[in-house]
Parts: sequence; C-alpha cells; structure tokens
Amino acid sequence: MTNSIQINQLIDHLFRRESGKIISVLTGVFGSENIQLAEDVVQDALTEAITQWTYNGIPGNPNAWLYKVAKNKALNILNREKYKRKYSFEVSKFSKLEELAFDSPLDEHVIKDDQLRMMFVCCHPALSPDSQIAFILKTLCGFSIKEIANAFLSNEESIHKRLVRARQKIRENKIHFELPATSELQNRIETVLQAIYLLFNEGYSASAGENVIRYELCQESIHLAEIIESSTVVKDKSNVHALLSLMLFNASRFHARQDELGNILTMSNQDRSKWNKSLIEKGFYYLQKIKSSSGISSYHILAAISAHHCAAPEFNSTNWKEILSLYDSLLLIDQSSVVLLNRSVALSKVHGANAALNELNKFAGDEFLQSYYLYHATKAELYTELNRFREAADSFQIALQLAPIKAEKELLQKKFLHCREKV
Amino acid sequence: MQEYLLLIRTEGNPWDILSPEQQQKHVEKAAAYISNLVKEGKLKGAQPLEPEGKIISNTKGAWKDGPFNESKEVIAGYFLILARDLDDAINIAKKNPIYEDQLKARIEVRPIKAVEGVNV
Repeated sequence: MTNSIQINQLIDHLFRRESGKIISVLTGVFGSENIQLAEDVVQDALTEAITQWTYNGIPGNPNAWLYKVAKNKALNILNREKYKRKYSFEVSKFSKLEELAFDSPLDEHVIKDDQLRMMFVCCHPALSPDSQIAFILKTLCGFSIKEIANAFLSNEESIHKRLVRARQKIRENKIHFELPATSELQNRIETVLQAIYLLFNEGYSASAGENVIRYELCQESIHLAEIIESSTVVKDKSNVHALLSLMLFNASRFHARQDELGNILTMSNQDRSKWNKSLIEKGFYYLQKIKSSSGISSYHILAAISAHHCAAPEFNSTNWKEILSLYDSLLLIDQSSVVLLNRSVALSKVHGANAALNELNKFAGDEFLQSYYLYHATKAELYTELNRFREAADSFQIALQLAPIKAEKELLQKKFLHCREKV
Repeated sequence: MQEYLLLIRTEGNPWDILSPEQQQKHVEKAAAYISNLVKEGKLKGAQPLEPEGKIISNTKGAWKDGPFNESKEVIAGYFLILARDLDDAINIAKKNPIYEDQLKARIEVRPIKAVEGVNV
C-alpha cells in the first residue's frame, strides 16, 4: 500500500472537464473526421483511472495521471500501422502529441485554443442548433448520452442518433479542426455564443426535469463562455462579456426560485439572501469589462436588466424606470413576443397596471403569446392589481391549462381559486 | 486479527453505465473506503487485475489452456484485509462502493488458511 497522504476528493467535475480538454487536443491530433476516436481514447483513460484508483486510491496528481494515460493510448494508436492506414494521420501530428506536456503552464493556452477550435467545430452552421448543443455537451463538457437525454427530456437513442449524424455532417462538410479565417471569426463566434446561450436557457428554463442537471447546464455554459473569454484569439470580446454577465446574474438566482416544498417563487417572493453573491459579483466584473466603444447586442441589454434586479436589495427597490428604458432599447433590436411581454411587466411598475394591460391586449392576435402561459398569467396578475377579479380568474384559468410543469400549475391554481372567491 | 482475501468478481466493465461525473463520484467513494481501511490498519494490499490472463493445466506432461470458466464473470481485483472474524470481513466487503450506483458485482470473501500455532 502507499504511504502517501490519502486523497479522497477530486476537484469538482474533474472527470468532465479533463475529458473535454483531452478530447479537444486529441481531435487536433487525429483530425475532426476522427472525433469518435478521441472520445474513445478519453473513455478508455477514464476507465483505466477508475480501475486503478478504486484499488490503489487517488494518485497525488490525478490530472497528470489522466493526461499521461490518454497520451500513451493516443500514441499507440498513431503508431499502429493498421490505424495509420485506416485514419490517414499526418506525421506532423504525431510529434505535436509527443511534445505536448498537458499540464505544463506553457501548454495551457494550447489546450484553451484547442477547446476553442472544438467549439467552432461543434457550432458549425451546418449543424442544427439542437445538434450543436448535444455535440458540445458530449465532447467539450464530458456529459454522457444518458445525461444529455435527461437534460433535454429525450431518450438515449435519439441523442445517440443526433450525435452520429453530427459526426457525419462534420465529415461530409469537411469541417476542419481550425480557427475560422479572421474575416469570418466574429460571425462564427456569434454562432458559438448563440449555442451557449441556448444551452444556458435549457438549464435555466423552468420546464420539467431535475434541478441538479439543469443547474449543471448553466454552469457548463458559463464555463464554455469563460474559455472564449480567456482566449487570446478572439479580439472583440464585448458580446462574450455581455453574455457572461447575463448568465452569471441569472444563475445567481437559480436556487432561490423554488422553496423547500418545490413551489415556484416569483421574483417578488424570492428570498434574496439565497441569491449567490459571488456569481453576482462576477456578473458585475464582466459587465464593467465591456468597452463602451463596441456595439450593443441584446446580451448587453439583457445583462443590464438582470443587473438591476440583482442590485435591488428587495423587490420594491427595483429600478423599474431604468429597466423599462432598457426594454425600450431592446425593442429596437428584438421585437420578439417574449421581450414585449417582459417589457409590459416593467411598464406596469412605472405607468400602472392599466397601461400595461392596454399594451398586452394589443397582442390578442399574436399566436405565440396566446398559447404562452406567462402571457395569460401576467394579464391575470395585472387584473388582480386592479381588483378585476373575474377577468383575473379567467386569465389564471387559461394560464394554468397551458402551464408546462406541475409546480407552475399548482401556483396558478392557487391564484385562480383565490380570485374566484373574490368574484 | 486474521487475513482475508476479498475477490471482486465482475462481468466486463461495471463502470461503463456511469457518466464521467458519476464515475468521479464513485472513485471518491472508493478512495474514502480505502482511506478508512488504511486508517484502521486493516488493508494489507489491493490491486486490480487485467481482464485477460491464462488458465493453464498440465496433463501427462503436456501444457494446455484451460479448463475454462463457463461464465463471463472474472476476478477483477482483490483486497487483502485484516479482520477479527468472517463476519467482520463480510461487513468490510459490504461497505465496498462497488455495490452502489447499480454496479453489478459480487465479492467472494475467503479466509487465508489459519493454522493454530502457526499463523493464528
């Protein structure tokens, strides 16, 4: 047995994170047409780790252990003649791998850049957004197919097929493992940021599913954005900073949204002491990093709105005037129904419930809003404020029928009954 | 205190069904299990075994492969421990995290032959 100090814990998400790093670097060595090979090597390396460590304990430097094993397996593959023929490796990649000392500080930025290249491959416009995020989760974030299926309320077979098709598309479209041309870079970054934001919202949205894995999706999104943020390749980081800021502010409120019984709490009811202060701090850190010279995206505005919420010590001290003005700016670039709906809430705080209702009733013909439970729930709250209980009850009833998850339905049901009593 | 051999028997790789995140949690549990045994002075050795090896036999001076086990179950590794008695050894075996996370495994608990006056 070993005399060394027993280590019983690994850094949070070590297996996941290292998995992502090593797959990225190995894809650089094997080529993007052989991503599966890189995934297999990492899977094997983790299996070796478990087999060894469950008898001998965790080694002093678990990262180095994983890198060494993965590297050796990769070198074996490069060495074997049959693999050389099957996969047509370039000899230059061989020496790149041999030289790579994964955990030397010099190579840290090589690894980061490889992860960035991986992001560009995963988020290539040829892949559908759903494929992009499934693929990112599998390769960069070290999620298993089962975990991805759970996160998206799908089944393992569908996710498996989606990933197979994604790898096929990469081969068919000859999507290489490289940074886009400088002229293309900013555009392609936009696609990556969209995928990251989509992933974040999958985690953040209150649609059904386990809370634990949903929060992990938010964490992964932030982690991915931070990789871009720390890369030396991307010059204009304004949108990255804005998106990071937005995600951090929203994530800070994640755990305050439900009470111990699983009931949904709206912002007016949330216990703000449960808001994660260090995430809020980080949010402000990135908000301040945004250079005023760069353009404004919806990420910027949404981040500023979220900042105002996070900065208010309680619901009643929220700076609704500022928030309304920000929504007005947002409307100039994004007239989507959800923006209009959220703006109406701010509108009601500044100009009263009647003004907001007038706004909302203008969209009676909007198909999307009519089938969106929050549209009816918002109207119902406004009617309640004005003591128009019959109309409130009617709207709550529609809302609760449309609400997608149980906890929401229950909340709306309570409010519906409460209003009906007052009619 | 007596020596016991815990033989971990599995079919294939029981951790294949776990995600990297779950695998990490499992490793941490196993590391804690080993730590405890070491602290209590009960662990004399532990190693994983390669899944393939050979069973060799000799009949009339000729070496042969086999005879083989019918089942796919192999001994994946061993723990050589110190325990008060068989019940104590069994309790130690039961605490092995291989039994958690719906991993399929069996542990064979065998006392090292004790001879009074020799090694008892």
